[in-house]
Amino acid sequence: MSNSTKKLELKGKSITPKQVGDMLLNNALIIIMLLVAAYVAVTQPSFLAPSSLINLLSLTAAYLPVALGIAGCIVLTGTDLSAGRAVGITACVAASLLQASDAANKMWPNIGTLPIPVVILIVVAIGALIGAFNGFFVAKFKLHPFIVTLATQLILYTILLLYVQQGNNKGMAISGLSDGYRNFVVGNPPLLSFAGGKIQIPNYVIYAVLLTILMWFIWNKTTFGKNMFALGANEEAARVSGVNVFATTIAVFALAGAMYGWAGFVESARIASNTANTGVNYELDAIAACVIGGVSFVGGIGKISGIVIGVIMLRLIFVALPLVGMDQNLQYAIKGGIILFACALDMRKYLVKK
Amino acid sequence: MIRTMKNCCIRYFSKGLCLLLATALLVGCGQSGQTETKTLRVGVAVYLQTDTFIDAIVQDLERLVQAREAADGIKINLNIVDGRGSQITQTEQIDRLIALDYDVLCVNIVDRTSAAQLIDKAKEAGIPIIFFNREPVAEDLHRWEQVYYVGAKAEESGVIQGQILMDRWLNANPSMDKNGDGILQYVMLEGEPGHQDAMLRTEYAVQTLTGAGVSVERLAGDTANWDRSQAAARMSDWVNTLGDSIEAVISNNDDMALGAIDAYQSLDIPPEDMPVIVGVDATDPALKAVKEGLLYGTVLNDAQGIAENMLELALLLESGQDPSQSDLSLTDGKYIWLPYQRVTLRELQAEQSPES
Repeated sequence: MSNSTKKLELKGKSITPKQVGDMLLNNALIIIMLLVAAYVAVTQPSFLAPSSLINLLSLTAAYLPVALGIAGCIVLTGTDLSAGRAVGITACVAASLLQASDAANKMWPNIGTLPIPVVILIVVAIGALIGAFNGFFVAKFKLHPFIVTLATQLILYTILLLYVQQGNNKGMAISGLSDGYRNFVVGNPPLLSFAGGKIQIPNYVIYAVLLTILMWFIWNKTTFGKNMFALGANEEAARVSGVNVFATTIAVFALAGAMYGWAGFVESARIASNTANTGVNYELDAIAACVIGGVSFVGGIGKISGIVIGVIMLRLIFVALPLVGMDQNLQYAIKGGIILFACALDMRKYLVKK
Repeated sequence: MIRTMKNCCIRYFSKGLCLLLATALLVGCGQSGQTETKTLRVGVAVYLQTDTFIDAIVQDLERLVQAREAADGIKINLNIVDGRGSQITQTEQIDRLIALDYDVLCVNIVDRTSAAQLIDKAKEAGIPIIFFNREPVAEDLHRWEQVYYVGAKAEESGVIQGQILMDRWLNANPSMDKNGDGILQYVMLEGEPGHQDAMLRTEYAVQTLTGAGVSVERLAGDTANWDRSQAAARMSDWVNTLGDSIEAVISNNDDMALGAIDAYQSLDIPPEDMPVIVGVDATDPALKAVKEGLLYGTVLNDAQGIAENMLELALLLESGQDPSQSDLSLTDGKYIWLPYQRVTLRELQAEQSPES
């Protein structure tokens, strides 16, 4: 059976329609999503209004950092379920340290408002620490990341619940953020204001672009990035060829954690009200986006451009479908269908190879 | 064989795509030709649509919109989005509504501390914003003149709840005072922590009792997040530990009061052995429970009134009129307060008798 399939495969290579078909099928998700977008754009022209597109762009930028982080874990054939809670905890920490000095329920009344760079360092460090913790258990005890990060997720939730009850806060939402912080994240740089200030791109979109470039560089141009892919593709081969598996695993998870830290910093100001539920389930959206973007659970495969496309596509669906009057309750089924379809398409490539 | 099949599939697939695109284009053209009459586009963001009371408001609103469209020949486009209890989701939904340039926003905010941020966004886009049922603090409402609140005063519902209990206590004390010590022992089912309705109802229900000289004792109290099943879980814990010493169950809303009844029923305790249970909202299931004698009383939170006033306000705002010059009764130019009404079996019977 496998022989005959192989023959067919060989024959197939010389025929263009099949290649076209494969290409269509491999990119089927993206094609379908673009069709949906086209349909929505035609029925609801306001979908293509500049403000609507900027909104889509901003949403993508908000969800991109977590996806960029989690993609590294997926490349290592793992996953990270603690991402959402890590975002939650860093968001709450960032918010509590950057409340305006005259905020009503200021959590820590004695510290005033810390300088923004210091807070960025703190939350990114917290995120990286959480990631390194995950990575340590994965690398040291060879535990599956699913289990490790499931455990971390639960532990982080308790820490988060306890944290929001500290100081003057007593479990309420942390709000009343300082204007400087809000402006830093959601403000609009004058350079990116178009049409007389009517169309404004918030700062965090720019940060997301910078972050994407940084991650592209790390993935493609550094030894660490190459080690990561080698490790994801074949751990034994990587070990034999001299990759420090232990250090690389921890570093990948720590880098992911740092991304969650940054995401928390942005989310905190973007939403402006932070509770113990901030960030919940972010990891699922991020994983779905990565899978749609072609980061494979088989390991060692994935591209930064794919992740960006994945995040855009997922947001596109959720922004576009309600516009044409789709019931909100169908969202989850559609999300689930997309994930299943994306994974099946992905695995199909490897099944064919075998 | 496999290949030919695939080829076929692909051919049909691409044909299908063309068809899809063509239909999309056609549909689009058809629609763009009809948008002559002016449409009022109202974005309604609710905190959680599975909340019975919120759902009642939404349904009333939809019904009123249809009636209005038929009566006045105007077109009203109602877009209802469900925040699912997450401020993040709701903020994004409101961003979308603003980006799509809706005419008026009606917001049942998830977390009232983030009202300031939403108001600033609406202000920047110049879209009037009406909050309902969940009231932001006054400072936030005064950030911009085009911000309004439609709802009822939470403390009033607490007071009425207290009065219902007080009347029952004073009139039929022997059966209510199970242990005969002259003290009203109660448990409190509270709405979500930090919600002003939950805090005020809890406070004023008890204050009304103590203010009238009834001595009370709080046996237990916990949050059940407005939710029926959470309330049932709390209540069955309490019934198991406190047993028959509970003389009243005060619940911040009807869903939770019904949850308490569920707990008693699942423990096979007959209605006559249940304590006096009171809720707030007068939702349909709650009214049914009142008629069946399971729920002693509730307080009518006027869902229809909220929906009516909100729609009127939205229409006025869209046409650029000043609401304070209209028939709507605005307090401070910002608030439309709706009265609460007490509902017990007596009120329901009184309501029915003139009709029959």
